Amino acid sequence: MAVGGIATYASGDDVKNWMFPLLAAYVMLSIGAMLIARFLYVEIIKSAPDLLRMSESDRVAAKDVTVFAAIILVYIVVMTGIGFWISSFLMLCLTSVYLTLDKSRRNIMLALVVPIGACIAAYIIFLQVFYVPFPKAAWIPGLD
Amino acid sequence: MIEGLQLALSFEYLIWLTIGVLLGLVVGTLPGLTATMGTALLVPFTFGLETGPGIAMLGGLYVCAMFSDAIPAVLVNTPGTPGAMATAFDGHPMTLQGRGQEAIVASCFSSALGTIFGAGVYLLLAFPMIAIALKFGPSQFFWLGVFALTIIGSLASDSMLKGLAGGAIGLLISAVGISHANEVARFTFGVPELRGGVSLVAGLIGIFAIPQVLSMVAELRKKEYIADYKPKRGITLITVGRVLMHPVHVVRSAVIGSFIGILPGAGSPIAALVSYNEAVRWSKDKSKYGKGDLRGVTASEIANNAAAPSAMVPLVTLGVPGSSPAAVIGGALMLRGLTPGPELFQTDQSLVFSFGWSLLLAGIVTFILGSLFAPLLVRIIRIPLRLLAPLILFLAVIGSYAIRNNIFDVYIMLGLGVFVFLIRRLGFHPGPIGLGLILGPIIEPALVQSLYISDATSIFKTFFTGGLNLTLIALIIISIILVIWTQRKDKAKEKSVEAARDPASAPSPGE
Repeated sequence: MAVGGIATYASGDDVKNWMFPLLAAYVMLSIGAMLIARFLYVEIIKSAPDLLRMSESDRVAAKDVTVFAAIILVYIVVMTGIGFWISSFLMLCLTSVYLTLDKSRRNIMLALVVPIGACIAAYIIFLQVFYVPFPKAAWIPGLD
Repeated sequence: MIEGLQLALSFEYLIWLTIGVLLGLVVGTLPGLTATMGTALLVPFTFGLETGPGIAMLGGLYVCAMFSDAIPAVLVNTPGTPGAMATAFDGHPMTLQGRGQEAIVASCFSSALGTIFGAGVYLLLAFPMIAIALKFGPSQFFWLGVFALTIIGSLASDSMLKGLAGGAIGLLISAVGISHANEVARFTFGVPELRGGVSLVAGLIGIFAIPQVLSMVAELRKKEYIADYKPKRGITLITVGRVLMHPVHVVRSAVIGSFIGILPGAGSPIAALVSYNEAVRWSKDKSKYGKGDLRGVTASEIANNAAAPSAMVPLVTLGVPGSSPAAVIGGALMLRGLTPGPELFQTDQSLVFSFGWSLLLAGIVTFILGSLFAPLLVRIIRIPLRLLAPLILFLAVIGSYAIRNNIFDVYIMLGLGVFVFLIRRLGFHPGPIGLGLILGPIIEPALVQSLYISDATSIFKTFFTGGLNLTLIALIIISIILVIWTQRKDKAKEKSVEAARDPASAPSPGE
């Protein structure tokens, strides 16, 4: 409904330019209204206590996803600053180490070696073969 | 034609064709690298070759990339290109059931069948088929797009409303950017980067790959790998047999793929989606689709690959490419001083036919190499989730960036991915969103062009007259009625099963 509302608000009134997105936006708005009505009826009235409950495993999973998403957020912010390859390598190492639950020496080594291999393979395929110009380090002049 | 076959079977042709197929295997497997990109990058390398082997190599890459894009779709639910989206619907559930290798071999064999059928159309029926395709105008494309949208009914089995809402979200995302009618900026919110619209590939990577990565992270403590995998001996022959057990299904998918491939602008994604939709519609047991049905994979892959050689038909008969890679191959011919079109048919028939045979052979080579590599490829799912999730994210970032070399596409991809991950928790299926995103750029320009045409006549005459329009409208109506009827029948079946399980809740005979 929110998407439909924003789309309707941002639309113009010229038929040929806006008829198609407006149609989609109106479909969204009406379906949103129906879904909210159904949600209010089914979810809140009938199963409100269940909604408020969150199991321990769900809470841990939510924490893992939040930390992972935070690392991705930092990654895309610093990508243009420190360059694609350094930021990608750091992101791969950080996420792999964080997601390794059994932090034995072997697993940690693997979590560091795999990113190195992935970066080297990607560097060869995408930069040397396909000439993709990845973002360079804007904060560190002279570094690719 | 025989001369063309002799040429295509020569050592020089076969070796370059095989190299093209191997490159296609790499290009399609990596999300973000498309067949168009691969063929375009390969063109300069073909200058050192004769024209025939050069374009055979390009054709080999094109055909194999249309198969290999199914590999990430099947194994990690991340379509390598838009054409593989429908393959993921059943292919990934098969992987989760421990049938990943079977799904890859089925994709590979189906791709070979589709390619052989499409190449047959190219070699034998090019001119009659193009005569039908030329009758397709904007209004017919509009109805074809709407017809493809009815696939939402097959995807949204749990909630039709959520399926429709997902489709509308996809259509809205596709409407971002400069409008097709009067070049008005839509939903750009003052951000200049949005004026170019949302990249289709980046959008699809966001919709499918990122929610998958986040789900892997969420399930990390429950399981170590995506799914179990035990290598099976003789799986290739068993799978080939299973695919061939449905001859009507195979032929229907190949016919749909070949015909849609000929229509310039429609391409493989719409061919795969329409074929999947028809497979569901004609199936006696629709409930198996979307849950790991082999026919879902074959319907998509046969049509997807049949569309590839067919897309060359308008190129060699009219000089109009049927797809982006066909345009690149047309460009490669022009760089050699050859003009694709009816003239080429008259002046250099051996080249035209040797190319057709090369495409057919590319299908066979793709099957041989694909089934050889399948046991190796399927081992991707044995990479622990803790390493696989960051690697998929890394490839998703590269893939979405590499399409237009634009960092903004990465932001869009990640934003869409998080959005879809969250709404998936509310019961939304990513399929309809991807469907809307793919079909929007096909439906909207067709709608706008038809409206302009209707200014000179009338809306009724433009949209609701003519044999093709009426046929497509009838198909849409039948499709919608069948979806509603099937849903009601399934619900009634569920109720009767529940009543049988719990006799206390069943109505008494007196009621």
